[in-house]
Amino acid sequence: MASRRRMLLKVIILGDSGVGKTSLMNQYVNRKFSNQYKATIGADFLTKEVQFEDRLFTLQIWDTAGQERFQSLGVAFYRGADCCVLVYDVNVMKSFDNLNNWREEFLIQASPSDPENFPFVVLGNKIDVDGGNSRVVSEKKAKAWCASKGNIPYFETSAKEGFNVEAAFQCIAKNALKNEPEEEIYLPDTIDVAGGGRQQRSSGCEC
Amino acid sequence: MKGVFSAPGDYIHFKSQVPLHKIPIGTKQWRYYDFGPKVVPPLICLPGTAGTADVYYKQIMSLSIKGYRVISVDIPRVWNHHEWIQAFEKFLDAIDVHHIHLYGTSLGGFLAQLFAQHRPRRVRSLILSNSFLETRSFSSAMPWAPIVSWTPSFLLKRYVLTGIPDGPHEPFIADSVDFVVSQVETLSREDLASRLTLTVDAASIGPLLLSDSFITLMDTNDYCSIPQQLKDQLSERYPGARRAYLKTGGDFPFLSRSDEVNLHLQLHLRRVGVEPRPDLVKGISKDGSGGSSSEKNDEREDSDVPPKDNGGPESPETPSAETQLPEAPESSGSHSLDDQLLSNAKVCFTSPEHVRLLISHAFFEKQQDIVSTRFVQPAWEIFILCLLPLYVETMYITWIFCWKSRCLV
Repeated sequence: MASRRRMLLKVIILGDSGVGKTSLMNQYVNRKFSNQYKATIGADFLTKEVQFEDRLFTLQIWDTAGQERFQSLGVAFYRGADCCVLVYDVNVMKSFDNLNNWREEFLIQASPSDPENFPFVVLGNKIDVDGGNSRVVSEKKAKAWCASKGNIPYFETSAKEGFNVEAAFQCIAKNALKNEPEEEIYLPDTIDVAGGGRQQRSSGCEC
Repeated sequence: MKGVFSAPGDYIHFKSQVPLHKIPIGTKQWRYYDFGPKVVPPLICLPGTAGTADVYYKQIMSLSIKGYRVISVDIPRVWNHHEWIQAFEKFLDAIDVHHIHLYGTSLGGFLAQLFAQHRPRRVRSLILSNSFLETRSFSSAMPWAPIVSWTPSFLLKRYVLTGIPDGPHEPFIADSVDFVVSQVETLSREDLASRLTLTVDAASIGPLLLSDSFITLMDTNDYCSIPQQLKDQLSERYPGARRAYLKTGGDFPFLSRSDEVNLHLQLHLRRVGVEPRPDLVKGISKDGSGGSSSEKNDEREDSDVPPKDNGGPESPETPSAETQLPEAPESSGSHSLDDQLLSNAKVCFTSPEHVRLLISHAFFEKQQDIVSTRFVQPAWEIFILCLLPLYVETMYITWIFCWKSRCLV
């Protein structure tokens, strides 16, 4: 009967529009890729059950709109984030330059308790495009930036081919889990369905 | 534990903007809010045992501004599930609403599923929050269910309130509990008795015609009074449903995590194809306040079923749009405060209420256990008394039989 609550890990994906945030999420959760580009409106999310060290987790992955003008759903989705994924397109320099803005934006909106050590993961997406010939951001450059921000894990991915996506999300889940404190404070204080054993509070005042 | 409760500012604003409707339909009294463009298929919020239509005020305010129509109802005094389905259907007919999206929390979620099961053509989608599939565990927890309709009000309130986990809460959750407790206080004995009867009326949800992709489950992942295994049961029943879990929020996430809940409601409505009409919002809000200004002097209770008012957003929601009473308006006795601006006076008014509640809370902590046994015991005694003559009779028969056989020997 002792059904344990499944831990919920919340992951936010940020990055410029068109870098492939939705595609990465879809590739990871549904193993599907569509060439058709459809701008995300506001935000949306997908969930996936993941197993890690004999425990099941629910990964709630939030995909957000890159375009400012679509960010109409408010900032509710930032709350309680366990890991933030910053995505850029290796073929677009601007999307890499903006990583810093996205990171800062996240730290402002989510205001995590320990911003210095909050887990980020950086993904350089679309490495498949043009056989890598149109690439403008080198792996070295990206890694240097990640190192300067407190050794952020870095992955090069292709949402289209599914390359490295699984590995990247494994790392994301692992880091999210590290962030989540062992929540012993919030032990389920449920009502006793059996009715009988209602705990007698031994407070002095009974009147 | 719980301090003096004063209505939150946004609730006072809500009460000044959104008219409360009270209409009798058939033999049932319906109390509800209906706000937002009438052309949009409504999201109907169904509260749990400890809730009223008011507990969803944050959803009504936030979603109606975005162009959605939100209806929030008090569960009327019905005494079984069959009656609920019929009453709710009549209500929908009366307010001229055909296709609905239901957002139900705890008991409300159960009632939403029941309605979806029995009236599949009307329910377009479901959002279920901390809900369950069957009432068995509740009825076994409430052996005194048969006498619920004779139980005095304070005991019912006490029972409902013990369902809310207390203890150290994070401030938003603590506020949400305070708000719900203040709403429970406005409920009458019959209201509470009927809801408790509904939670124990033996029933379970059969298969729904609705596809899982039109269902969103919005459980809170920290704790709530619905046991985890019942919530698991529900999520197993709808494997394809969308899981919009909230990390925290307690029993009343619609109050404590309203921005997240509203976001999920919006995402759900978008997914199931409800188009908001923000362009019609201006008219509505004007209409709302205009309606209230025209009839703010006193609460009028028309006793007739409203004519089908399907006019556009401009048509005022007449029958008995009662507004302007700042908080907990219809518990007319203790709560009718005249002026919401006299907040000092309000604190003085409300505090005895809460002190009393606190006292009863502490005092009946033990009392409740005793009382439940006190009610169960007489029942047993009567039962045994009835059995006694039977027992004597069998004794007599055996004795006669023994005596006869001995005679024979």
